[in-house]
Formats: sequence, C-alpha cells, structure tokens
Amino acid sequence: MTGSTILAAESVVELPSYEVYGSFGRPDSGSWMFDARCGVLAVGSAVRLTLPVATGGHGRPGVEMLGRISALRPNEMICIEHVQPWRGRLRLSFDRVDPARTRVRVRASVPADGVEWLVRHVGGALPVRPARSDVIRIGLVTSKSGPAAIYSMATEYLAGLAVDEVNDDRGIDGHLLELLVADDATEAATAAHEAVRLVRSGCRAIFACTTSSSFAAISRAVRGTGVLLVHSVMNERSSADGENVVRFGEQPADQIAALAGPIMRATGGRNWFLVGERYSWSYGAHHAARATLPRTAGRVVGESYAPLGTADFTPVIERIQRSGADIVMSSLIGADEVDFQRQFAASGLRSTVGSLSLVMDEPTTAHVGADAAEGIWTALGYLEDGPVAGNSALVARYRERYGRWAPPISTLSETVYEAILQYAQAVRHDPDADATRQRLALLTHRSGRSGTEIGARDLVAPRLYLAEVRGGGLRIFDEDG
Amino acid sequence: MSTSIDGCYLCDVTANENLAFDALSDRVRRQIMSVLGEGGELTVTEIAERVDVVGRSTVSSHLRILRTSGVVNERRDGRLRHYSIDTEGSVRDAFRYLQGLLQAGVRLDADSEETADPPGQLHDVG
Repeated sequence: MTGSTILAAESVVELPSYEVYGSFGRPDSGSWMFDARCGVLAVGSAVRLTLPVATGGHGRPGVEMLGRISALRPNEMICIEHVQPWRGRLRLSFDRVDPARTRVRVRASVPADGVEWLVRHVGGALPVRPARSDVIRIGLVTSKSGPAAIYSMATEYLAGLAVDEVNDDRGIDGHLLELLVADDATEAATAAHEAVRLVRSGCRAIFACTTSSSFAAISRAVRGTGVLLVHSVMNERSSADGENVVRFGEQPADQIAALAGPIMRATGGRNWFLVGERYSWSYGAHHAARATLPRTAGRVVGESYAPLGTADFTPVIERIQRSGADIVMSSLIGADEVDFQRQFAASGLRSTVGSLSLVMDEPTTAHVGADAAEGIWTALGYLEDGPVAGNSALVARYRERYGRWAPPISTLSETVYEAILQYAQAVRHDPDADATRQRLALLTHRSGRSGTEIGARDLVAPRLYLAEVRGGGLRIFDEDG
Repeated sequence: MSTSIDGCYLCDVTANENLAFDALSDRVRRQIMSVLGEGGELTVTEIAERVDVVGRSTVSSHLRILRTSGVVNERRDGRLRHYSIDTEGSVRDAFRYLQGLLQAGVRLDADSEETADPPGQLHDVG
C-alpha cells in the first residue's frame, strides 16, 4: 500500500497476552479494542471496529471500520485489511511485558483518501482541483460510514473499475472520465450537501448508491442544475422523480412476488411479520408486501419500524414471538440488518420461522456470520457466484485490481458498475445530450437493446436470482423474470 | 510543521487542544470551509455571497475563529483580505484526531483522563 502514513499508539494493560488476544472481537470486551466484532477469530473473517467519533442523524455511536482479518499470530498479532471508511490496514500486536502484563500496539495505515475522509468528517475541507478540459467528471455518492456502509463496501471499487474500463476503451468522445467520491454517512442532509459539492466541482452526472432517504435529499438538492442523477442501488421507486432522474436496481414488489410463493410452500405457513426502518424504503417495501401477499394466500400479522441506526432488536423479536408469524420479512439495511439477524438467530427463532431478507447481499451475509445467517432467503439481480454471462471475467478483473481482501462484489455495488458503463455508452452515442435526453437514452437501452450479459443488462427491472444462505454463502436455487 | 509528498502527508504530532475541531463544530464555519474548498482563495465578500444564511460581518467573525484555529490562511492585498484553506493545518489536525482515537482504543480504561502512555508515533511509508 503506497502513499500511506502510519499512525501508531500503544498501551500496557494488566492482563496476560493470551487474554488480550482472546478478548478481541468478543461482545463482552466493551469499547476496548475498538468495540471489535467478528464471528470467528480467523483469517478471512469479516470484522467491524468502531471509532468513537461523533456522528450525525443516525443512532449508532461512532464510525465503523469494516474489513477482514488478513493475518493472525495467536496471542501475538492481528492484522485487518479494511475498506470503510477508507481503504487501509490496522495491525494490533500484543507483546508480553511479564506474565501479567501486555503491551498493546496499534498501527494504522492512512492513505491520501483516508486523510481526505478524516478532514471532511470533522467538518474541514481540502481544495478540489479544477477539472481539466479533456475530462468529464462524474460523481459517486456512497455510504462510507453509518449503517449503510456494510452494503456499500465494494461500491467505490466497482465505480472506479467502470471508469478505468471506459477510459481504457478510448474514453468518451475524446474525453476521459474522472470519478469524484463523496460519503453521505447514511444521512440525508449530508447526502444533499455532498451532492451540491459534486455539482459545483463540475460533475455532469451523479450516481447515488445511498438509502432512498438520502436519494430524495440529493434529488431535491440538484434539481434544476442540469445534472443527470442515477439511483444505482435497489429502491422502491417514486412517481415524483424529475426528468433528470433514473432509478435502477431491484424493486421490493418484484422481490416479494418472486419469493412469497416458494417460501410459503417451504415453510407451510402463511402468517407474515414485516420488520423495517422508519423511512421510505421500508414503507414502500411493506406497502408492496401488503399488496402482494394476499394473492398467494399470505397475510400480514404484524410489522415494526425501527429508527435507522437501531442496534438492539429485542422488543421487535419479542413482538415477532407473540405474533405467531410463520415468516419474517426484513427490509432492514446494512449494520441494522446484521444486528437484527444475529439477534434473531440467537433467539432460536430461525429454526421455526422462515426468513426473507430484501438486502441480504454478500457483505451483509458475511457480517451476519455463517451460523446466524443460515437459512435466510433473498432475491437479487446479481450474485458474485451467479451465472450472468461475463461475470467470471468481471470478478477476475476486480480481484486482479483490488486484491484478495477486497470485499465481495454484490448487487448493490455491481449495479453502479453497469450504470456507469451504460452512461458512457449513451454519452458516446449523443455527446451533446442534456440530462433529460441522457435519461431517455438509459431507459431506451433498457427497453430496446438490453442484453443478458454484464454491462448490457436491464437495470430497471433486472432478472432476479432466488437464493438461500447455506454454509455461509448465498446459493441460487431459482430464477425469476 | 507539515509537508506533503505525492499526496502523502508527514506531520509532527504534538500535544495540542482540539482547537480546530471546536472551530469546525459550527455549521456556518463548516459551510465556509466547503466554499473555500471549492473556490480556492476568496475575499470576505465572495464568501458571504456563497454562504446564504449569514451576513458579511458574521462571516468575518467566523473567519477570524477559523484563522485563529489554524485551518484557514489569510493574505492581505491592500484593503482586501483573501482567505484560503490551510491544507497542512487541516491534515495535521485530522491526524492528531485519529491519533487520539487510536490511543483511546488500546487503553483498557478508555474513559480515563490520565494518559501515562508515551506519545504516538507517525511514520511515512511510500
């Protein structure tokens, strides 16, 4: 990792080294060791650490560093490659001072984009260099912090890969694409502020891989600027979109329609409990469920809406137990979904109640953990192990570029990859088009010339792959659409 | 002192209060920083035109706080004062902030105000 600065800190604690090492990742270790959480202390395990920094609108304290354990020496060292909120490495070492004391050292690598994130996070700013005349700037608003950071882990990588491939393929009408990235911190106000910054920095299109709440704020903030706005993660759609807005990705109504029959047949039950968040995504998803389930003889016996950023789902799980539900559908996202599914499994309900999750992508599955996630059903437009034509080559290019510890590609990150490729194709075809014409071109691509392989797929109503978590991974058992 | 080499920053981390972070806790001052981040070097009038919630005199007051905190530079040209982001100061403060978080993370008693541990170290790798 070049161009990084190393920060180091250390402390001597009154514990033997094996106890210090063994406490890493355990829920009972408290805030010490960055409140680390990992299912198994093993190389490759997904890990979450919390930096105790101030956050804004969502309820979770601190900012999570998300990554995987890349090296271990029992009782001596733990190395973590993390991708959120920046790509870096954290190395914890435990040196025996005497039988009862251990020197704990931490070394953190911080690359240039990590410095920029830190400066912006605390309210500062670094100058944005002027755009060159031979460059077309596009913006990516993603969630590098806050509850949505888990499902956004590979988003920046996939967007960067798409831009590089466009530029390697002669660019666009003599211009190179340049990507500017912003973190919305899973907060609507920050999303709007950052989108305006991207527009002022000269971005001609913004790809938003954010919650629907953030997307609505971005849409209001950039209205009238002439910038194309693409929602490039699954969303519930809206009839109030402007003529510069394109929405891609799975829709909850399609996901539920595809899964309702199979999961009711598998469980033999018809009573559903809906678990969601207090914002438009869950409201839309639950509305779709109430409209769809009666057609398959299902019925909703209860539902709950937790604030975004909820970590304790005990009251919700108690309500599910009392409701007599046969199937639980979750529209929770990211860290909230991870905590809910882990607590749901710990309650013992997983073996008796069917589980459907709308956002159970690969990174979320990894953070829930193999045992806790076993048996969850989902329906997604892309899976890293899926059969889409061209996928093997995409995965190979991704791993070659970002290495073995890069987070898995998921439907939420892959959609922005294809969206940028389709945008580039539209601008090449009609370089003078305004945002309205670009929007129509992207929608026309969908209805007329879309193909079935990576880069040319229908992103407005993607074909869905029905999958179940088995043995720690998402296994496809059917297709829909 | 702070230097920048190919996007890689090397700073001295010395004991200091979180003056910059206190200064940036204000919404208007954060907005001023954003304006300077996009506009480069600007006069008070130019900043006030882009910060739509307060007047010129209030902007001047906020700029004084930002300059005192070391996150904004001031350059005088006759009667005009030009302001720009002190990039080195912002980066130095960001590193200091992360350093504090790391130190708190490895202390067993994270809530303790006592800091008997040696100061952190900073190295540059290329």
